Amino acid sequence: MEREIISKMKRTLLVVFLINAILVSTHKGEFWPFSIFPMFSQAGNPWSRGLVIEVDDMNRKDLWETKSLSSIDDRVVALREHGIDDIDYANFISKTKNWDEERIQALRNLFQIEQQGDAKWLASRVTGHLTEQDSVVVKVIPMFLVTSDTTYKNPDLFK
Amino acid sequence: MLRSFFDRLSSNLFEPPAPNTIGTKIYYRLFELFTVTYTIIYAWQWGFYTLRLSDVVLPLGLAQYINVEIFLGTYFPLINAGLITLFVVMALFFDRSKWLYGVAFILFHLHYVTRYSQGEIPHSQNMVGFCLLGLGIGSVFFKEKRHSLQFGLGFVVFFLGLGYTTAAYSKLIATGITWVDGNHLWLWMAEKSVDVLSDEGAFSYNWIQEIALQNRLFATLFLTMGLLTEFFAFLVWWKPFRTYMFIAIIGLHMGIHSTMNILFLSYTIGLFIIGLPWYKVINWTIDHYQINVEGYISRLKEIRNKVQLFTTHHSRRDISHDL
Repeated sequence: MEREIISKMKRTLLVVFLINAILVSTHKGEFWPFSIFPMFSQAGNPWSRGLVIEVDDMNRKDLWETKSLSSIDDRVVALREHGIDDIDYANFISKTKNWDEERIQALRNLFQIEQQGDAKWLASRVTGHLTEQDSVVVKVIPMFLVTSDTTYKNPDLFK
Repeated sequence: MLRSFFDRLSSNLFEPPAPNTIGTKIYYRLFELFTVTYTIIYAWQWGFYTLRLSDVVLPLGLAQYINVEIFLGTYFPLINAGLITLFVVMALFFDRSKWLYGVAFILFHLHYVTRYSQGEIPHSQNMVGFCLLGLGIGSVFFKEKRHSLQFGLGFVVFFLGLGYTTAAYSKLIATGITWVDGNHLWLWMAEKSVDVLSDEGAFSYNWIQEIALQNRLFATLFLTMGLLTEFFAFLVWWKPFRTYMFIAIIGLHMGIHSTMNILFLSYTIGLFIIGLPWYKVINWTIDHYQINVEGYISRLKEIRNKVQLFTTHHSRRDISHDL
């Protein structure tokens, strides 16, 4: 009896394994929870993440300039305190190609900016790459200034 | 030969470690309890978070065939979380309802692809997904609860081993053996430091990270150990290697946490529960302290039977009242 049960378990597992193989091979390695776990498989590639910077003065001259991480790390908004998933935000800001009205509104919804009082948040993309001398360079690129009633685009990026 | 390999593999995966002992029964129930607990935690976390989403950036899984955008901006995620909770709790307590694990898995998948439609493909919840899927399939195909638990656990062990090993192959195919070069770890550490800064508003490297940043050889050694652990993770399929391999994998996650600030909490807890021989610890404790576990279990069963009788009696009364 037990041998029959184990044999049935083997057949069931084999069928699920085949379904898994079909699903991951036809869906770029991912069909949750099935996965080939390809994260970190491409080493040394440049990356892109996101940060939100608190802005006191909207007229400051360097507002839209690309910056180093050390120059802004005391003004970074802790997204956790506002219930925002930092990975969601990083993907949203770095993977969006076409910033139409709908996508900008989705960014505002993610921030729930109307509920953040008179906050002025500079939504920024952060890029990193390895140089030929094997050192890591990180740059912070401001994209949008988001306030409770308006979204301003970086004039250097959106002409 | 292939057939005998699969026979041996299935024996290693599905045969209970110490049959007919209290330790094994509790071990299987711990696995079930872990699955139910984390399913409920994720169901509500995702449910509340999805309320703030309004746009699909990257459709995953079934979302490639069903437009999950219709669930955004509605209370469906909370209703779904409620249904998932109800189904897994019923399946946990009532043997006749164990098939609800299968239904809960389908809803849970839908829940995941709605929540993670924002461009990220996270893997920290895959363990819980596998556990619920294993219990779901086990409950549908095997009548007795103990068999469905046996299948569920073996199923999870199989896909865990497979997942880590395919991860190692992905790295070797996509980058090659130079994947282990320490400067790659520097680049990832910088990337994850930005994530922590974004999440918490502050970041500083710990001492392990400082050593890795100053010493390329150390960083290379770290990546080499990680790759080797992943590569040989399929050894968890075989009982003699299982505990050692699981300890190595838990060590791998500790290493990832200390160098890249990535903590797969549910994954690590799952590895801890599934991978270590708790049945031995429990059996030893019962024998050593002469604990009357059978007495406690029969009392719990009595309570459960009373609850079942009560609910059946009331549902019959409702029907006769309607008639």
